[in-house]
Amino acid sequence: MTDTAKKVNTTTTPKKAVPKVPEVLLKKRKLYADLKARRLRAQVQAAKHKKYKRLVIFKRAERYNSEYRKKERDLIRLKRSAKVRGNYHVEAEPSLAFVIRIRGIRGVHPRVKKVLRLFRLRQINNGVFVKLNKATIQMLRIAEPYIAWGYPNLKSVRELIYKRGFGKVNKQRIPLSDNSVIEKSLGKQHIICMEDLVHEIFNVGENFKKASNFLWPFKLNNPKGGWRKKANHFADGGDFGNREQYINRLLRKMV
Amino acid sequence: MAASRPLVSVYNEKGQSTGNSVVLPAVFRAPIRTDIVNFVHDQMRRNKRQARAVSDKAGEQTSAESWGTGRAVARIPRVRGGGTHRSGQGAFGNMCRGGRMYAPLKVWRKWHRKINLKQRRYALVSAIAASGVPSLVLAKGHSIETVPEIPLVLSDKIQDLKKTKEAVGVLRKIGAWSDILKVYASKHTRAGKGKMRNRRTVMKRGPVIIYDKDNGVKKAFRNIPGVSLLSVERLNLLRLAPGGHVGRFVIWTESAFKKLDALYGTWSKKSQLKVDFNLPQPIMTNSDLGRLLKAFEIQSVLRAPIKRQARRKVKKNPLKNISLMSRLNPYAAVQKRRTLLQQLKGRRTGTTAESKIAARKERTHASLKTKRLSGVNLVKKTKKQQIGATTTTTTTATKTTVSTKSS
Repeated sequence: MTDTAKKVNTTTTPKKAVPKVPEVLLKKRKLYADLKARRLRAQVQAAKHKKYKRLVIFKRAERYNSEYRKKERDLIRLKRSAKVRGNYHVEAEPSLAFVIRIRGIRGVHPRVKKVLRLFRLRQINNGVFVKLNKATIQMLRIAEPYIAWGYPNLKSVRELIYKRGFGKVNKQRIPLSDNSVIEKSLGKQHIICMEDLVHEIFNVGENFKKASNFLWPFKLNNPKGGWRKKANHFADGGDFGNREQYINRLLRKMV
Repeated sequence: MAASRPLVSVYNEKGQSTGNSVVLPAVFRAPIRTDIVNFVHDQMRRNKRQARAVSDKAGEQTSAESWGTGRAVARIPRVRGGGTHRSGQGAFGNMCRGGRMYAPLKVWRKWHRKINLKQRRYALVSAIAASGVPSLVLAKGHSIETVPEIPLVLSDKIQDLKKTKEAVGVLRKIGAWSDILKVYASKHTRAGKGKMRNRRTVMKRGPVIIYDKDNGVKKAFRNIPGVSLLSVERLNLLRLAPGGHVGRFVIWTESAFKKLDALYGTWSKKSQLKVDFNLPQPIMTNSDLGRLLKAFEIQSVLRAPIKRQARRKVKKNPLKNISLMSRLNPYAAVQKRRTLLQQLKGRRTGTTAESKIAARKERTHASLKTKRLSGVNLVKKTKKQQIGATTTTTTTATKTTVSTKSS
C-alpha cells in the first residue's frame, strides 16, 4: 500500500549523514516539547501563587480573629458601660439563624412542605444557615412545628463548616477538604478559604446568599442525649421553634 | 482503501506474464459492504426454490365426530363405525395419529423475493471488490499462495479452450490447482435427507472463471470440480459470494477485465452498459484507521489521556486532624499554640480564666470604692478602667472565652 510517510532532509552539508525522520514524528516531538515547556512554566507559576495565596489566607484569618474578638469585647464593654450609668444597652437583633428540620417527611401540610423545600430542608436533621429578615422570619413561623432554630455562635458556625461542610460543586456534594474547592466556586465573591466562608456566614456579609447556597444543607446527627419532646415548642419544654442561643447547645450534641 | 488504481499484469495460459497490463477497474475500489452482500445473497437464494406443500385432503378424509361429554373419553372427534382398529380413534386434530397437521403447508407461500435493483448492484460491486483483496480471498479459504497476482487476469486465449485437459493444464500453470485439490479433498456425502434426494455429495467451491465471450471456455472448465463459469455481463452474486461471504477466488480473462469499467463505471464516469448506475460512494474517503489515529491533525486536538482516575477520598475532620486543619487554615496553628501557651501559663501561675475574672472584679470593686470615698467623678474613672481592662484581656484566645460564654 502507498505509505505517505514523508522524509525530511534536514541539513545542506553534504558531509554529515543526518538520519531521515518522518515529518509526523518531528511535528509530534515539537508539540510535546512545547507542551512540556508550558507545563513547567505553569508549575513554577502555580507554586509561587500558592505560596502567595497561603500568606493571604493567613493574614485574612488573623484579621478575622481580631475582628471577632473585638466585636465580642465591644458588646461586653457597651453592656457594662450602660449598666454602670444605669442605662440599658440593647444589642442588635440577630441577623443569622441556623435552622434544623426536626420532623420527617410524612404527613406534612403543603404550605409547610413548600417552606421547608425553599429552605432546602428536605430531610430530617438537615440544617441550613438562614439570614433573618421580615420575610424569612415569617417563613420560619409557618414551618415552626417542623424546625428547631436559633442564633449560632462562632464556635457552632466553625464546627459545622469544618466538620460537616460540603459544597455544591457542579450540582454534586463535594467535601470541603481543600480551599481550592471553595475558591473555584466562590472565588469571584473573594471567598477563597474556609475562614473566609466562616466569616461570610457568621457576619452575614454581602455575599451571604452565595456562600450559604454553596454550602450543601448540613446533615446532622440525632442529638446525643436525645430530644426533649419534638411535639412541643421549646418554650413548653419541647424542641421545635426558636430557641435563640440554646441552639448552640443543641448543635454541640448534633454536629 | 486508497483510490489509487494500479496496473494489473495479464498472464498467458502458461502462467507467464505477457507484456500487457490493464488499469485496475474502479469496481475494485468500491466499498465492501458485507452486510449488504449477506442480505442480498440471503434474498437471492430463495429465488431458486420450488413450491412444496402438504395435500389439502391429508388428515381430513374421515367423517369423524366428537362423542361429546359423559363417555369417559377425551372430547376429540372420533372415527365412526366399527369393525376395524380405526373406529373410535381420534381424527382431524394435529395431535391425533393420522390427523391433519397444524397449519397445513400451502403452495401459495411466498417463495421468491424481490430485491431492489440498487441493492443487488451494490452487493455485486462489493463482491467484486472483495475478490481483489488477497486477505479476504485467503480468509474465504482459497489456496492462492501460488497464484502470481490478485486480481488474476489471463489472456483471452483461455476463452478459446476446447479440451478439459488443456483447462487443467492452465490451472496448474497459473498456480490455481491447489485450490482445485482442496475441492477434491472436501468431497463428502451430504448430511441429511438430501442424500436420498439426488444431492448425495457435497464439496467446496473453487475458482470462478469470468469470461467475455464463450468460445468453448464453459465446456472446457465445467467438468473440473469446484470451478464456476460466469459471463461478465451476467455476473451472479450467488457465485461471487457463495454462502453470503465475500472473497471468492476469481480468474478473469483480459477482455472481461477490461469490460468492468464500462459495466460498472468509474466514479467520474457513469456505467455505459447499465442504465443509470455509478459506483457507490464510500462513507469514509480514507478508512485507514491506524493512520488516522496517528495523524497529526487528530492527535494535536485530543485532550490528554486520563491515566489515573481520581477516586473518592474519605473526608477527614479538620477539627481533629491537625495536618488537614493547617492545610485549610494556616492561622490555626498560631491560634492553637497561643491557647496552649496560655493554658500552660495559667497552670504554672495557678490562674484560670475564672480566677482571672474574679480577680479583675475584685480590682474594679476596690478601685471604685476608693474613688467613691475620695469623691472623684465616678463616670470618667470607670470608663478609663474599662479600657484598661480590655487591653489586658486581649491576650486570651477567643475560642475559650466564646465557649464559656454561650454554650
